[in-house]
Amino acid sequence: MKSLNLIFRRNLVMWIIAAASLAVPFFLPNRYFQDIAIMTFLWAGLSASWNLYSGYSKRLSIGHAAFMGIGAYSSSLLYLNFGISPWLGMLVGGVIAAGAALLIGGTTLRLKGTFFVLSTIAFAEILKVFATTSRNLTGGALGVMVPFKPGLQNMMWDGKIPYSVLMWAYMIVVLFLCAWLEQSKLGFQLVALGENQEAAENLGVNSTKSMLSAFVISAVLTSFGGTLFVQYILFIEPSSVMSMSHSVQFILLAIAGGMGTAFGPMVGSFILTPVSTLLRGYLSGVNGLHGLVLGLVLIAVILFRPDGILPQLKIFFRRLLKKGK
Amino acid sequence: MSGGIYALISVGLALIFGVVGLVNFAHGEFLMLAMYIAYWIYNKGGLDPYQSLPVNLIVMAVIGFLIFKLIMERVLDSDHSIQMLLTLALSMVLQNVALILWKADYRSIRIPMTNSSTNMGFLTLNTPRLLAFVIAIGASVLLYLYLQKTFTGAAMRAISQNGKAAQLMGINIKKTYMLAFVIGTVLVGLAGLLLSPIYPAFPLVGANFSTLAFIVVVLGGLSSVPGAIIGGLVIGVIESFAGYFAGAAYQQAAYFLLFILVLVFKPNGLFGKKA
Repeated sequence: MKSLNLIFRRNLVMWIIAAASLAVPFFLPNRYFQDIAIMTFLWAGLSASWNLYSGYSKRLSIGHAAFMGIGAYSSSLLYLNFGISPWLGMLVGGVIAAGAALLIGGTTLRLKGTFFVLSTIAFAEILKVFATTSRNLTGGALGVMVPFKPGLQNMMWDGKIPYSVLMWAYMIVVLFLCAWLEQSKLGFQLVALGENQEAAENLGVNSTKSMLSAFVISAVLTSFGGTLFVQYILFIEPSSVMSMSHSVQFILLAIAGGMGTAFGPMVGSFILTPVSTLLRGYLSGVNGLHGLVLGLVLIAVILFRPDGILPQLKIFFRRLLKKGK
Repeated sequence: MSGGIYALISVGLALIFGVVGLVNFAHGEFLMLAMYIAYWIYNKGGLDPYQSLPVNLIVMAVIGFLIFKLIMERVLDSDHSIQMLLTLALSMVLQNVALILWKADYRSIRIPMTNSSTNMGFLTLNTPRLLAFVIAIGASVLLYLYLQKTFTGAAMRAISQNGKAAQLMGINIKKTYMLAFVIGTVLVGLAGLLLSPIYPAFPLVGANFSTLAFIVVVLGGLSSVPGAIIGGLVIGVIESFAGYFAGAAYQQAAYFLLFILVLVFKPNGLFGKKA
């Protein structure tokens, strides 16, 4: 109970914002804006999943989209070939992602910074090649279409609202795990390893064990996000789901909000996902302009606010609360 | 034959990593820029890539200098992960700039030489490929000699071995960093230029080559210039063999697999020094 108390007390304002955000899609005027809200929740969850390992331990994984691909393919292939409900498929995808994370983590987590980053890219690329070439299993480069049959057991709905609730729930689950991690032994160990690996090991941190467990949790959560993504889009192809730009998107949102904080990715996604989607709409006349703007924003954040927006926001709220008293 | 180009791209990357300590994810985007510059000059001025070589390299040097001054200089002391994120963001910006300026179409340069071939007695080779190979290997070897024989070259090697000690010995560390970054950019620009008659330019062309360059560099021992040259040739050979025996689709899988194997069993690279 003490830990639960800590989890909620520490970030009370953020929890209130997260909870209140569920109401937003209900007030949005049309499907376009509701779609933005859905993607905002989903990206917040995915980015927070990435942050759970890479943010706290400061070891960038640029291949996390591979886990998203695993989740997406597992659930939809099971559904298409054997009629297994995506809810179950999501769990199967999680198990496969955990296995893959154990395999890849076991071999690469002991590598030093740069090497680890490069090996995550290699892992994602190998998986992408595999998904593109094994045509019988994954449909190759053409991808897989999931036929639209609305219903709870198929995790598909006619309207946007059920999707938004689902994505919101996903985001909350990931956020809760991150907040739990922050005050758990594992979380402290991860942060210590990120600060100074040798020192942490000397103090008795089993670096392989704690990094591997966080990596697996992060991979499983990301694969869940992959399943939700495909159930919403109803289409997957290797070059888009597993692309490096997806991995970069996780990182972008997390660093904009604040890397290595539970709510950083959420703040990043709440601000950047709607802005970038709207920008894409308004700037559609010139291809690439919105990508340019996003890239420049990222560079500016890294140069001038390397801790992200969240710390700034927290100071703002603290001042606000003090004034109220 | 593509091994020569890979070597040239990787040499620049290895130099920047070895001296500046920067993992440059935007390296491939410099390649892309040079290809577009070659295309632009060819399209507007009618000069083929070999004639526009000096202009192209000067433009690349200026771009390298500006990017170093405006962006990279600010994060030299920051965390590795911050630097990587920054170059990642930079590559995103450059890709989108290319998309705005030149659209997503494939732009290729068709000069008479593209389809000509040179007979070398026992084998016949496509002329631009042969030229690319010879110039690329020549430039890489020149860089190696520069590092070995000149004072600034020695300064670069000193910094890559021990930055603090080098600074205490009176080496102007910022200037050397800048020089290394600019040389790396120019070298990858040269690679792009040599590539432009044989390979079309498109905004994402750099991405393919930069992942490859990373593999080469890891294979060669991350900061070692001769290692990068040999690594580039090795990858070129592996790629063609894998393409021949297992099919084009598995080319990439083959060298990524090799990459992971090297990382696991010989993390200092095939030719790297013991850490």
